[in-house]
Amino acid sequence: MFTTGSKLFFGATGLSVAGAIVFAITTGGPTGLMGTVGLLSLACIFGFLGGINYFNGDGNVPAMQQGVQYTSAAAQRPVGLSMWPMVAAFSVGGMVVGAVSKPVVFKVAVAILIVAIMEWMVQGWSERASADAGYNASVRKRVAHPLEFPILGALGLGAVVYSFSRIMLTVSKEATPWVFMVVGAIIAVGAFLFASKRRISRGTILGVCTIGAVALLGAGVASARQGQRTIDEHPTTVDSALCLEGGTEAEVDDHGSQDVSAKSNVVANIYLQSDNNLNARIAGFRDPKDNFSTITVPRSTDVRIRFHNESSSPQRLTARLGTFDQESEVVMCTTAINPGKEAFLTFKIPKTNAASGTPMELQVPGVEGQSIAIVVP
Amino acid sequence: MLLAGCAKNAPQDTFQPAGSNARKIDGLQRELFYISGVVGVIVFAFVGYAVWKFKDRGQEIPEQTHGNPKLEILLTILPAVILAVVAVPSIAAVFELDKKDNDCVINVTGQQWWWEYDYVQGSTCGGVEITKSIVTSSELVIPADVDVLLRITSRDVIHSYWIPRLNGKRDAVPGRLHTLRMQADQPGIYTGQCTEFCGLSHARMRQAAVALNKADFQTWVTNQTADYVAPEAGTLAATGEGTFQAQCSKCHQVNDLKTADGTPVLAAPDLYVVSGVAPNLTKLMTRTAFAGWTFDLISAECRDKLWNAPPDEFGALYLQGVTPECFDEANLRTWLRNAPAMKPMYADPAKLAATGGKTRGMPNLNLTENQIDELIAYLLERK
Repeated sequence: MFTTGSKLFFGATGLSVAGAIVFAITTGGPTGLMGTVGLLSLACIFGFLGGINYFNGDGNVPAMQQGVQYTSAAAQRPVGLSMWPMVAAFSVGGMVVGAVSKPVVFKVAVAILIVAIMEWMVQGWSERASADAGYNASVRKRVAHPLEFPILGALGLGAVVYSFSRIMLTVSKEATPWVFMVVGAIIAVGAFLFASKRRISRGTILGVCTIGAVALLGAGVASARQGQRTIDEHPTTVDSALCLEGGTEAEVDDHGSQDVSAKSNVVANIYLQSDNNLNARIAGFRDPKDNFSTITVPRSTDVRIRFHNESSSPQRLTARLGTFDQESEVVMCTTAINPGKEAFLTFKIPKTNAASGTPMELQVPGVEGQSIAIVVP
Repeated sequence: MLLAGCAKNAPQDTFQPAGSNARKIDGLQRELFYISGVVGVIVFAFVGYAVWKFKDRGQEIPEQTHGNPKLEILLTILPAVILAVVAVPSIAAVFELDKKDNDCVINVTGQQWWWEYDYVQGSTCGGVEITKSIVTSSELVIPADVDVLLRITSRDVIHSYWIPRLNGKRDAVPGRLHTLRMQADQPGIYTGQCTEFCGLSHARMRQAAVALNKADFQTWVTNQTADYVAPEAGTLAATGEGTFQAQCSKCHQVNDLKTADGTPVLAAPDLYVVSGVAPNLTKLMTRTAFAGWTFDLISAECRDKLWNAPPDEFGALYLQGVTPECFDEANLRTWLRNAPAMKPMYADPAKLAATGGKTRGMPNLNLTENQIDELIAYLLERK
């Protein structure tokens, strides 16, 4: 007769074979082939494990002992009730619902089903480990806790982080530092009180932590339902049609080009000075002695320029990047920025300036007679 | 390891610094080596004593004690003090290596599998004016005893620039601009190679820094910015110019080269190569090696003579470039016959679907022997 353990594995073998057949029929192409091969491989593994279990009588007693499959601890009925069959049944129902509604429901149900089966297996095994209930409970902990604690911890931490992030994205930009400080202060003060009161009861700590967690999760759910605050986008460049025009007060945006990585990789700083002179300070040369009227940049490489508006009116920096073959001139520019502000411009030039039909240069629309030549060797 | 230390022909040696930056690193690593060596000897001595003294000889297990606050405090403070002492020269060296007072700035751009250098037009380099942009590859030419700042980036994957005798290494990352200071005490040639695995021919991505005294560097700059000189009509080199235009100029630029009707010949490597560039060959024969500084353009004898030249004679010898007597024709001929056979470069046209037909190096152009003769004659005049 089949032993208890071998029944489980042979059942899993049959399930894998059935799954492989269904998958092969319903899913075509390379994905279908790969999935079918995977499921059949799983069936082979389960079949092998089932055979081993059948041969050695679940490993609990000598395989050749007569009648042991009826008398060993492993053959006894479980002593406790288990919620896992019910959870597994609900998850199967969830899979059916998910299959006809949302994929995410299906995936969550599959995850719960896997957890339920694992827990059911561990419980079934541990309760038959010996006739001593205390020992059985200890082996269950030894097997299950190394998996349960990290997973539950990660889920708990994820819930806290996600809830807090929803809250921070919902409250106004001005309020976020205050929320951060107040929550941090409450946690710090609470921890200080717990640490300083030696006789505080475990129940009190648990109650306070539970209230805090529920409040955080509740606020997170409420924030997620309300949605994010409006976050303005600040484009770094504007429509090239505007790049050659002066008088840009209508669309000044001082918050453009806030990319931190760009700030640390500028090839040159371009200054429009108060007297409307335009000059370049090239990164690496002594500053501010070396002012250039040309910048040399390698071809086919990302080039980052920082524009400083030291004039008295809003201005933008325009890059005229050449005319190649029959195509029209390539023009890029920053958004217009107020006096005293900075903007960034990133571009890549694939060909030398010798290949361009028009000069490559940086200029400020409306400021006549000033430009920085771009040399691409 | 010990046998590698016995190598005579090992120019990439951090223990032979040839510049102020490398010397700082060398000094620091020697100090740290001595300190950690003493600590290591003490630790191993204690471990050895304990192993010998308490070896199992059948004796009874000694009394077990737990906790010794004095000893534990001592063993916590002592390493902290040692680390604090070590931190002083380490942090000082980091700041010294990052000084900003440079007398020359050169752009260094890595791509599979070679380095490109371009000199900033309108700047001065060690007192020498760069009136016209200079772009070259593999051999970085710098003035000796001058603080040079390299602005390093990459066009494709991450590389790392390292000339061990002149400074530490610096990664070349696409989209980022990293700086590295170089200074060579004396004229000479200092070799290095890419030290970040960057694909199939990473091991064949080498480079060198050539230091020249100011007068020689001025001569080099003048030559690099000189006007194009067309081959004499009717010569094999003149035929080679046409062959170059037909076969090579799609990717390789020779500055100021024009067709017969005066139209500038402009390379468009962005259409054919993944990185968007190919080495500029305007002054190919002023360099001593090609293809990522992997294959010599000069014979082994001439190379040894150049590499071992005294500092005061090095510049004159280097500025001769590749002379007919020193030219290692076999390497260049084999390269032109089938480049990917010498240096793997993902250049098989049948396997370029992922890159839209673009290669990562020079493909086999299936040149005839006559075409190769013509190209060699033409390229030999590019100096």
